[in-house]
Amino acid sequence: MSLLKRIRKSFGTDPGSKPGHGRGISARGILIFQHTSEVIRAETLLKLAGFDVAVKGPPPEIRTGCDLAIEFPVISQLKVLQLLQQERIRPLHVLPLQDVLLEPVNLFHAKDFGDYLMVRAANMKITLSKADLRIVNVSGGGCPDVPYLADQLLGKRLDEAPEPRSLGSTLCGYALQLAFEELRRRCPG
Amino acid sequence: MAEEVDARGFSCPQPVLMTLSKMREMGTGEIEVLVDNEVSRENVSRAAEGQGWKVDAVMKEAEEYRMLLRKQ
Repeated sequence: MSLLKRIRKSFGTDPGSKPGHGRGISARGILIFQHTSEVIRAETLLKLAGFDVAVKGPPPEIRTGCDLAIEFPVISQLKVLQLLQQERIRPLHVLPLQDVLLEPVNLFHAKDFGDYLMVRAANMKITLSKADLRIVNVSGGGCPDVPYLADQLLGKRLDEAPEPRSLGSTLCGYALQLAFEELRRRCPG
Repeated sequence: MAEEVDARGFSCPQPVLMTLSKMREMGTGEIEVLVDNEVSRENVSRAAEGQGWKVDAVMKEAEEYRMLLRKQ
């Protein structure tokens, strides 16, 4: 098979492919990992290296639970994979992003309770006392590290609290990090 | 006589916020908090301890929890 044909096939634009299966070539691809902790590490590394990446919920057909995927520019695939390999992070799959709609994880919902402000990101909620910018509640999730994360953050001022990313390695920790960043953005102190 | 916070039917963080408001209002004393799920029970306990209150007792009644919080 020629290289061009292989590329077309992998992107679902092979003229010989079945009707209805042809999807437009996308400039984005997705990396699927075995563990959420790898997603978090990979995202951090890739962002530090300047790649335009985003964490998303994988498309339903490849989802295995509450897992995450990293969307990346296909044009940088080689460099992205080289960087991950250097750091001994091995994605389970590297897929072209066709017309599948990925769910962004960083959808925020904020609720003002008067004296308190709550921000939810995905499955995690974090609530802050507006008067002194102290974290009064961390809830949600269902991951085993949520009680630990709550314990580490509760009662601390937003500017002195450790980043959830540095404490947890589950989807809940990741979502909490996003909510934490959003709170910091909204309440710079 | 303990003051009561009935947080049944509320989801987090509201039971915590209702309890914190009562604690702020009272300063010290006894508060009975009613919640209807384990997560709220945990979160209220954690918040109370963080504010220097002691969780003196937790009674489970059917699917509800009655918590007694105390601060001298």
